[in-house]
Amino acid sequence: MSAAGQGAAAPLVAARGVAWEAGGRCVVGPLDLEVTAGECLVIVGPNGAGKTSLIRLLTGLLEPSAGGLAWRGTAYGEHSRRDLARRIAYVPQIRPARVPLTVEEVVLLGRHPHLGRFQLAPRPEDHEAVAEALDRVGIGALRQRPVDELSGGERQSVYIAAAFAQQAELLVLDEPTTHLDPRHQGEVASLLARLARGGDRTVVAASHDLTFAALVADRLVALAEGRVVADGTPAEILRPEVLESLFGSRFELVGSAERPVPVLVLDEEAR
Amino acid sequence: MSGGRRRTVLVALAVAWLAVLLLAPLVGSQPVSVGDVISGDPAATTILLRLRLPRVLLALLAGGALAVAGVGFQTLFRNPLAEPYTLGVATGAALGAVIALRFADPSSLAGFAGVAVASFAGALGATALVVGLAWRKSGIESGTLLLAGVAVSLSASAIILFIQYLSDATQTFRMVRWMMGGLAVVGYGDVLWVAPWVVAGVGVLLALRWDLNQLLTGEELAASRGVDVSRLRLVLLGVTSLMVGALVAVTGPIGFVGLMVPHLLRGAVGHDHLWLAPAAFLGGGAFLVVCDLVARTVMAPAQLPVGVLTALLGGPFFLWLLLGRRRG
Repeated sequence: MSAAGQGAAAPLVAARGVAWEAGGRCVVGPLDLEVTAGECLVIVGPNGAGKTSLIRLLTGLLEPSAGGLAWRGTAYGEHSRRDLARRIAYVPQIRPARVPLTVEEVVLLGRHPHLGRFQLAPRPEDHEAVAEALDRVGIGALRQRPVDELSGGERQSVYIAAAFAQQAELLVLDEPTTHLDPRHQGEVASLLARLARGGDRTVVAASHDLTFAALVADRLVALAEGRVVADGTPAEILRPEVLESLFGSRFELVGSAERPVPVLVLDEEAR
Repeated sequence: MSGGRRRTVLVALAVAWLAVLLLAPLVGSQPVSVGDVISGDPAATTILLRLRLPRVLLALLAGGALAVAGVGFQTLFRNPLAEPYTLGVATGAALGAVIALRFADPSSLAGFAGVAVASFAGALGATALVVGLAWRKSGIESGTLLLAGVAVSLSASAIILFIQYLSDATQTFRMVRWMMGGLAVVGYGDVLWVAPWVVAGVGVLLALRWDLNQLLTGEELAASRGVDVSRLRLVLLGVTSLMVGALVAVTGPIGFVGLMVPHLLRGAVGHDHLWLAPAAFLGGGAFLVVCDLVARTVMAPAQLPVGVLTALLGGPFFLWLLLGRRRG
């Protein structure tokens, strides 16, 4: 299993024998996975490996067809959906194309699990949480802008800020850098690295973007056909032979030995 | 959208709501003053307290309910053209009313109440059919719901035409008149029937305003934050249908209020349901009172059914929406 800390305390999230079937086909698992508090874990794998399903299982949005998940030793089923939402914030990949709200309004939506039904308006602490989230993510200047007018990278930051305002210990993101140009990919990567290394958030992201994974991850889990095929530090996973068996493509490494960055290369005959 | 501007708009709407409640009963083809009523003029008392005041109250309730229902459906379906009648509530109610008008004796008291009961049953039956058609093991699917609404409405309209063909001229006239939608009432019976449905329905929709806000960024995010999306959808459909069904049974279909008022108010207070839902209730009520005021005075002493007036406003409004979108 993981090289990262196997402390005495229960892991933040523990998945045991988790499997998810759809249409008689096993999309995920059965697999075991532990998420340790404070780490930045990136799940990598080719398209169709089951990354999104695994991410949705971790958020509790999907119920496993076999096995179970636990938050600090307590089964997900014993938490209400709202209770879980105070612990786990999610940034999905697919969101509505048009959202008729300002940045501040979208970030305020992250406060939902903390609000009472009959509460008339957001409380001061909700506004404080929003202000802190805007500040930490570095988009305070955009607060009154309509989100529909923002660039893709800015928009991604807004949803990350909303997840931050949710004040959940675990941030789960699905393909956070898809459709972003390199500059915005870098911004999102450094934002997530900052949040994870700030020490108060644990980050789990699914991505097929290996550059992103190499830049932010403390730990990588490689997923193929719904199974964990490799789990370790970036230096252990980001090796040409591991990546070639995972993606079926050739890679060369740049960067340092402890934080290698893989670069896709074409075969000689393909050129 | 700044909080200050929203507050101003909401206060202005509340003032307008109170103003139409107090002033609209005084306006009409027959001038009546509060002094006449105080001095005990029986004609003035009847006109003001038995005819105009209940009519204004019914318009406030109906307009508010339709506008709030429109807000809910537009958000639920992520579709600016969704309205309270999208799922066939109005055509279902019309079918019920038409059946009652054809087969019951409308001159008897039972016949008169029968039309309301039959149209309420028709409204609920049509909605139940639509929801049933869209029901899947995994929950209700919004797209299927819209298509089922269109299919059921078209079928009900066809049956209505068929029954009209079988009816005599008087019956057909009554049917057409019912389908124009109107607020002409005598006394407080209809108001007292509609009020609990509207108060309960609008109350539930207002209590759901946080959850409706969550739907603006998509169902997946809403669910991840603890909103039970399929339950929300069911509650929204059920509560809205009961409220609008009860309303249509009394007033007939009054179109476009649920479409126009929410759109106009989004421009003024934004999409945040904390502001939009109460604004829609106040604005919808005041809007319908003013429309009804115009309808009952513009051709005085004849009274135009208010549904005809809102329908006349609806077409140009669609056009304006379309042109605005193209510019945007």
